[in-house]
Amino acid sequence: MLRMLVLRDLQRQYTKFRLGYLWTLLEPLGMALVMWFVFTQLLGSSNLGLQPYFLFLTVAILPWWWFSRGVSGAARVFRRNPAILRLSLLPTRIWVLRVVLVSMAEYLLSLPVILIAMLVTRTAPGPLIVLFPVAIIVQFFLMYGLAMMIAAGAAVIPDLARIVRIVLRATFYLSPILYSIANIPAGAQVLAAFNPLVGVLGLYRIGFWPTEIESLPNYGISIGITAAIFIAGSVVFHRLEGRILKEA
Amino acid sequence: MARRRLDPHLDSMMIFSGVGLNILKERRRQGGSRRNRLRRLAGEQSRTTSWILRGVTTRIEAGESVAVLGLKNSGRTEFVRLAAGTLIPDEGSILRRQSILPMIDLRRAFERGFTIRQNSYLLGGLLGMTPKEVEGALLEIVETAEFTSNIDKYMGGVSALTRQKLAWAIAMATKANAFAIDEMLVVGDPQFQAKCIAHVHRLKADGATFLVATDVPRKFEGFFERAIVLHNGSVLLDGAFADGLAVLRELRLANSAVEIEADIETETETETETETWKDGRP
Repeated sequence: MLRMLVLRDLQRQYTKFRLGYLWTLLEPLGMALVMWFVFTQLLGSSNLGLQPYFLFLTVAILPWWWFSRGVSGAARVFRRNPAILRLSLLPTRIWVLRVVLVSMAEYLLSLPVILIAMLVTRTAPGPLIVLFPVAIIVQFFLMYGLAMMIAAGAAVIPDLARIVRIVLRATFYLSPILYSIANIPAGAQVLAAFNPLVGVLGLYRIGFWPTEIESLPNYGISIGITAAIFIAGSVVFHRLEGRILKEA
Repeated sequence: MARRRLDPHLDSMMIFSGVGLNILKERRRQGGSRRNRLRRLAGEQSRTTSWILRGVTTRIEAGESVAVLGLKNSGRTEFVRLAAGTLIPDEGSILRRQSILPMIDLRRAFERGFTIRQNSYLLGGLLGMTPKEVEGALLEIVETAEFTSNIDKYMGGVSALTRQKLAWAIAMATKANAFAIDEMLVVGDPQFQAKCIAHVHRLKADGATFLVATDVPRKFEGFFERAIVLHNGSVLLDGAFADGLAVLRELRLANSAVEIEADIETETETETETETWKDGRP
């Protein structure tokens, strides 16, 4: 059932536009190009991030895309079609999982963008690229937890959807997407590790830039926070389930 | 789901014990003194809890046909949603022997951007069917719903009446034998309604259990043997259907003649009801 819902959503995405699947590649590619142009050509800052900067950007922008779609989708999930809750015998959290999985599928389908960036910049990954799938798994749990929290919260307090949008924007700049972990001042590194995305993005990039290795304890903090968010998300969702159903 | 746990050894189909459901209402204090306004801004005292249902204790036996009656906003819909498990009570508990099929506003689950076929899988899935089961039942669904055009057509262009028939046909294709129904026992045009009635009578004869919230109980005389009348959040009467009808009639009379007229109007309206899609999404 879940698989069907996800497939249908993807299908709808891809039949809506003439270029269909190509947009999944073109959109992040265009985004990365714009940022690359602004930061290297216009502003000309060479100490920002690591080289080649275009690939550096791409590797982080794609998962960011997944993150922001999933999270903002979660804020809308129970507003979009509340009638379904009135009649569905399926566990309520399936609707949250659906949003996370659809955005994840889009992310996986957009991975060829990284291959394109690798070809353009003629860069090959090192052996630590094996951590790439680990990053995907960590991000999945991070997002599932967050999405449960946000979906439940937004069903009870409608204003949350707007707050989420602002927080997302802030998170974009507070996470090492445009810059590298090395750009974060030494004193703030531990603090930054409390943003679980720091650890996740580090894991994505480590395959290309072994220097992007953050200290091990900081990875520990990121993954620990992810686990905490997942558990907290499940608890919050379970607690608020009655309220969610009432709002339908 | 843990909250819809079933107990196959239960001696009744459903047992409601002390069930209560509340709703948090924003207390709307228009204007008011400055102090009140300040309080409202501070979020203090701005919410009250009002009970839609409280202290509902009853048993539904297997094979019974129970009408859930009451005035508008008496908690009929909430009662059947609680029975099916698509609402969770705030107090008390509901035990079920088996899964209860919710037939509540089913056609709203249809996605306009999906085809009829895809929507059958969707709604069937929501009601607990596997894709294989839907596939097997597809012909039967189309036949029951008297749907003649292409099932790979998009749902967007299908009339509300047809959508309702389709929803009904899909629900029947689940082969469930316990139903929690909100105004969906019979649907469609008079001809289709006759077919529905024949069908549910057959199911009843086979031992199916029905819990039906309805505003137009007279339509189903001879189908129900029991009625639960809800009033002001509690059970006013739990007994024979004829007694339920009488109590409902008194309630309606007491509720002023104006309301009765409105009720009669809606009685005729439900049949020619039109509907717009709630969300503008394609």
